[in-house]
Order: sequence, then structure tokens, then C-alpha cells
Amino acid sequence: MDSTSWRFSWYFAVSQLKTKYRFTALGFLWNFLEPALYLVILSLVFSVINRMNINDYAVFLFSALVPWRYFEKVVTSSMESIVGGEWLLKKMYVSPLAFPANKFIISTFEFLFSITVAFILFAFLKENWTIHLIILPLSIIPWALFGIGLGMISAVLFTFFRDVRPLIQMILTLVFFTSPILFHKNIFEPNSLQANLMQYHPITYFAALFQKPVYEAVWPSDIDWIISIIISLFTLVIGYNLIQKFKNKFYFYL
Amino acid sequence: MKTIFELKNVSVNFDKHSISHKTLRYALAVKMNGHSSQKISAVDNINLVINDGENVGLIGRNGAGKSTLLKVLTGVITPQSGTVNRNTGKHIVPLIELGIGFQPDLSGRENCYLSGILMGYRKDEIEARMDDIIKFSELEDFIDEPVKNYSSGMYARLAFAIATDVKPDVLLVDEVFGVGDEFFMRKCIIRMQKLMKQGSTTIFVSHNLDFLVTQCNRIIWLDKGKIIMDGDPEETAGVYRLSEGIAV
Repeated sequence: MDSTSWRFSWYFAVSQLKTKYRFTALGFLWNFLEPALYLVILSLVFSVINRMNINDYAVFLFSALVPWRYFEKVVTSSMESIVGGEWLLKKMYVSPLAFPANKFIISTFEFLFSITVAFILFAFLKENWTIHLIILPLSIIPWALFGIGLGMISAVLFTFFRDVRPLIQMILTLVFFTSPILFHKNIFEPNSLQANLMQYHPITYFAALFQKPVYEAVWPSDIDWIISIIISLFTLVIGYNLIQKFKNKFYFYL
Repeated sequence: MKTIFELKNVSVNFDKHSISHKTLRYALAVKMNGHSSQKISAVDNINLVINDGENVGLIGRNGAGKSTLLKVLTGVITPQSGTVNRNTGKHIVPLIELGIGFQPDLSGRENCYLSGILMGYRKDEIEARMDDIIKFSELEDFIDEPVKNYSSGMYARLAFAIATDVKPDVLLVDEVFGVGDEFFMRKCIIRMQKLMKQGSTTIFVSHNLDFLVTQCNRIIWLDKGKIIMDGDPEETAGVYRLSEGIAV
């Protein structure tokens, strides 16, 4: 991607963040209030279902839910980014990569706001603070790469087949509700079918990168790192190459 | 003389029926009937060389392929066949439409930055020019208002001021005059003439033949995606007018 396209995706992201709450009374505060309200409501509801102590459950839930929300936002917003960039792509030369990159930057800022909120809530909820938390800046990298990789793949698919939007949204919903983000894997009997199936769920390994240091106060295991990094790099390479391969055709499908 | 653009056997086709051609039903119908979807040839096998310092006018009826050709030159469209060589050392600014990239919620000033970045400038370069841009566009009192509150004249003035303030090497203009009041239009034309004098290469698409004849040193007449005539402005414009049944 050329430097003009980079500068555009950065400046456009910053201006979108600035205008997002520009005409609201609370303005910038909404960047923190919105995730705070979401996290509090979800933890209240699901602690009842999981029959867990509310404090305990909230820490468990937030640890993987915050990166998941980031990942989901990157994928869904990138998916529509190239088609949504029609206003520019049909009139001026910019690299089509600038649009997923732009959504990625916006979502990353939103993630930083959410994780700040989560840590403010942890100050009230979490008792044992351990050294393991320092791994979190590394833990987010596989999530980010997986998100932008899948986002680029969906963006190309969506440009040529608009039918993929509901399909991808449904797949994300399915993946979320079957992953150990909302519920703790201990609710299943050891060696039961469900517990075994969890091993084949890719998000189990991504979630562990956050749940282990935050909730269990241990380091993520090697296998968590290996599987999540392989999956994320794989999707990233495919996504990037798909955009490069089809970029000359986008104009005719926008 | 340095070459700015060199087009060899360039063709661009669009699908007809572009609303239905993505549906499954349409795809099945095409399969069963055995015919492929109809193509419209917007640019048809064009060979063209544009050199440094030339001021070229593109003329032709609506749908002749002028705007498509301009988009091929800017790189927005990659043609399905043929090759396009672009002089990479030159700073090319397209003015295909006024205010491309303007965001309604952003202020005039913020849009200047966004628009300037899209034209390939850095933020500090735009900052240095900001006062000139504001002065030329006559928007001193409104520059920090969101552009959604601008009148169409104000909008166009700002857009034109940004595009022409920093001296581009190559300027591609698609019928963007006729905006703002008469005085502003005159200001625009004077500025364009200045750019041309300074040696900027310009390519205009316009239906204002008199403007093109007086300002350009070469006119290209397009029809149905083909070059009909390419040469002296007065001669080309004259033949074009005659062919359309207008006495000169």
C-alpha cells in the first residue's frame, strides 16, 4: 500500500472517531460509557445462568469478551468496507487495502477504550492481581491479525457476493455461542462430549490467551500460542493475497 | 519531451444489466440460454500519448467514454485489456468531481486535510497552505463549520481551492466549472490559466467548447469509446460541431 493510502486510512479513522459522538452531549465519554454499560448488563444476566459468583463471573467474562468484541468488530466492519468505500474507490485512486485498514484502526481504538473500562471494573471485582497480566499486549496480537485477515477475506467475498453478509454474521454468532467465552468449560462433566468438542473450537485457544492470565492467574500454554498464531497468520496471508489478486476487478462490482 | 501518459490498445467494458446479473436466477438463465451477458464498450481499443506540458481537451457526446478515459488515466479503473503507462515522477491530481472525500460531519478545515491527504500531500504541507486555501475560497467565517451546513457554492469553492492551491504537475478535470457565482468562476479560470502557464499538464473534460478551444492546445474527440479526431483545437471542435449539425 502506498503512503497516500496509509495516510488516508489513518486520518480518516481519526476523523471518524472524532465525529462519532460529535453531536452528543457527553461526547468523548461515550467511548467509555458504551462498553461499560454493555459489560455490566451482560455480566448481570449471564452470572445468573452460569450460577457463578457475580464478581468472579464478571472477571472471567470480560477477559475474553473484550477481545472477542474487538475481533468481531474488525471482521464485520472490514467486510463491508470495500463496498462502503465506493464513494472514493470509484472516483480517485486509493489502494483498496486502505478501507479494511481504516476499519481496523477504528476498531483498535475502540478496543483500547473497552479494555480500559474492563480494567476499571476489575479494580472493583478482581482480588488477585498477578504478574501474568503483563502478557496481555502480546495476547491481543493473534486476535488482531485473525480479525484483519478474516476481515479482508470477507471484504473480497462481500464485494462479489453480497449474500455473504448474513452468512458471515451467522457464523460469527455460532462461533461465539459455542466458544468458552460466555460459559466456563467447568460447567461440562470432564470427558463429556461437550468438553471434548471444546478442544476443537479455535476460539478456545484465542480465549485462553486472555482468560488464563486474567482469570486463572497463569501463563497461556504453548499450544494456545501455537494454534492461535498459526490460524491468524494463515488468514492474514490469504486475506492480503485475495485483495491483491482481485483489486483491479473491484471497480466493476461496486 | 517527457511522456506523462501512454495508453496502448486500452479497452474498458461494462456489463449491461448490472442490477440483475449478480442473482442466481440470472446466472442460471445465462447458463441455460447459453449467451453471456451483454457488454458495453466504454473505451474501445484506444492508443494515446500525452506529453508533459500539454493542455488537452476531451470532447464528445454524453456516454462517449470521456469520463471513463479520465478514470483510466488516474488509475481508478484498470482496463480489461491494453496497457497504461503513467509517469510515476509526476504528481497527478484528479478533479473528477468537486469535493471527493468530503465528509458532511467534518468541518471545512478538517475536510481540507482529508482531501489534501487524498491528493497525495502530507498534513504539514496542507497546514502551510491553509490560509491561502481559506482566502481563495472566501470562507473565512465558515471554515470551522461542518460542511453539511454549506451551500453548494461554498462547498464547490472549498473543493476547488484545495485541488488547485498546491501546484500539481498534472491536473485532470471533469466538467467541474459552472459552480459558484460568475466572479468565483472567473477566479477559477484565471487560476487554471496560471497553472497551465507554469507548465502543469492539464486534461479537461468539458461540454464548453469555447472554453476548451481558447485554453487547450490539443483537443481529442471521442465517440462510442473511440478517438474520432485528435489535433488542433479549432479544427477538431469545428468538425465536431459540423458532425452534430451545428453550423460554425
